[in-house]
Amino acid sequence: MNGSGTMGYGREIESLWSIDTLGAYVTKGLSLKPHHGNPPPRVWEEGQGMLNSIGLQNVGLERFFAEYFPLFKKRNTPIVINFFGFTDEEYIECAASIRPDPFIIALEINLSCPNVTKGGICMGKEAQSVFSIIERVKRRTPIPLIAKLTPEVADIVQIAQAAVSAGADGITLINTMPGVSIDLAAKRVAFRGGLSGPPLKPIALKAVADVSRAVHVPVIGAGGITDHEDVIQFLMAGAQAVQVGTATFIDPFAIPKMLAGVARYMDEHGLARLESLVGAAHA
Amino acid sequence: MHDTEGIIRENLRLCRDFYRCKIELARPIDEVIPGQFIMLKVPSAEIFFRRPFSIYDYGKRTVTILYKTVGKGTRALASAPRKERVMVLGPLGHGFEVHRGYTPVLVAGGIGIAGIHLLWKQLEKKACLFYGCSTEKEVPLLGEVIHQEPRICTLDGSAGFCGNVIQLLESSLSLVGEKPYVYACGPQPMFANLKGVLAEKRIPCQVLVEERMACGLGLCFGCVKKTLDDREPYKRACVEGPVFDLWQISL
Repeated sequence: MNGSGTMGYGREIESLWSIDTLGAYVTKGLSLKPHHGNPPPRVWEEGQGMLNSIGLQNVGLERFFAEYFPLFKKRNTPIVINFFGFTDEEYIECAASIRPDPFIIALEINLSCPNVTKGGICMGKEAQSVFSIIERVKRRTPIPLIAKLTPEVADIVQIAQAAVSAGADGITLINTMPGVSIDLAAKRVAFRGGLSGPPLKPIALKAVADVSRAVHVPVIGAGGITDHEDVIQFLMAGAQAVQVGTATFIDPFAIPKMLAGVARYMDEHGLARLESLVGAAHA
Repeated sequence: MHDTEGIIRENLRLCRDFYRCKIELARPIDEVIPGQFIMLKVPSAEIFFRRPFSIYDYGKRTVTILYKTVGKGTRALASAPRKERVMVLGPLGHGFEVHRGYTPVLVAGGIGIAGIHLLWKQLEKKACLFYGCSTEKEVPLLGEVIHQEPRICTLDGSAGFCGNVIQLLESSLSLVGEKPYVYACGPQPMFANLKGVLAEKRIPCQVLVEERMACGLGLCFGCVKKTLDDREPYKRACVEGPVFDLWQISL
């Protein structure tokens, strides 16, 4: 899969490769109503990582289904709908308004966005609010629900357990980590945003390893995956699937190359199924 | 579209901090529309993202870019030796749309000539070109264009008209011909001035803008430009742009 917000609305990449190359396409974060997002600059290079502050720009659910969804049916590509809201009610309304469809294999709830009713605190940071929102969303949709967690927490296992006990059917680990970049000459913060890319990989691997041991639902690994060896490491850490984001910006063919690399690895190691690797690195 | 390997055949300092780089590609790329750009993987392990560059010229499997060193990406490129291998993705973006029945007027500020040159060439060098830069030391950026007697200005008055390119345009706009249509590339303040000068007669104008980019393909929504479209104000410079209608963007 791609990571949410790293593959536009799906059609853009098709000038290079077909969207059905993916196991599943994950949408940009969608909300009930369209959202304009932040003024530029929205992206920043920081060492071998990326900071972004897109601000959740999206066309809203209605336009997504009218204008972009037909492509996935045409390509026979399953999709995961990533969604968010700025209040509990917006989350619930958003999830409830998505009609089940054979091509929608799951919803992925973005728990990293600021909750305006809670003073802008991100609800993904507290086990209690994660439990509460997931339980309420689950009551309103029959579609499997994946919780995408922020790494900016004291104990990610505790958050994941709260999500699972509220009914989450899967966990995506991890979202970007908030960071800043400082302008040396101007002596000021040049940019604030979510950090992604290779610097995140060890943090994500640990989160995947810790959480996959503690919960019984599938874990999807994400964070700095750049080549097929990274993919395999995430599987070994306990992920059943992975999402690739920032790598595509550096090399738009990163995902097809990883798929080929994984297939080569399986050949070389005489593996018929990848499942045998999942959790192999659990000591 | 492919990600095409290229070899740097020339990486020449033209003047001050301005360079011209010629990259020979392993295979031809699609037809280039003036105003389009490439995403170049700068040959340095220090540089994470690709960098967008306007296509200054393209022919015989060789893409030419003109650039100014402004940050670590362009500085790393400036130090790349000949024969260095690079990866080139392109042509990308929405380029200039030339409207017939008008007198084309090209306006370039500084390194903005990089985005205007191919259009000037495609218009068979018949368009009026207005070019502004800081001092006469930057005039060599015009390269071959200079022989076609463009209207030049410098901020310090060391060559041509003394002032900025929009003041120069304003002083001679009535002389360029019937129904002018302006195509411009330059720094952001230039566009605001341009809007002021063209507003009275509502002269049509397309501008090539610059934004920080990550992917160049419309995947990340990182490089947006604010427009006057209420429904969806932020448009991607890499897909809906980099050429926008001046009257539809918010400055």
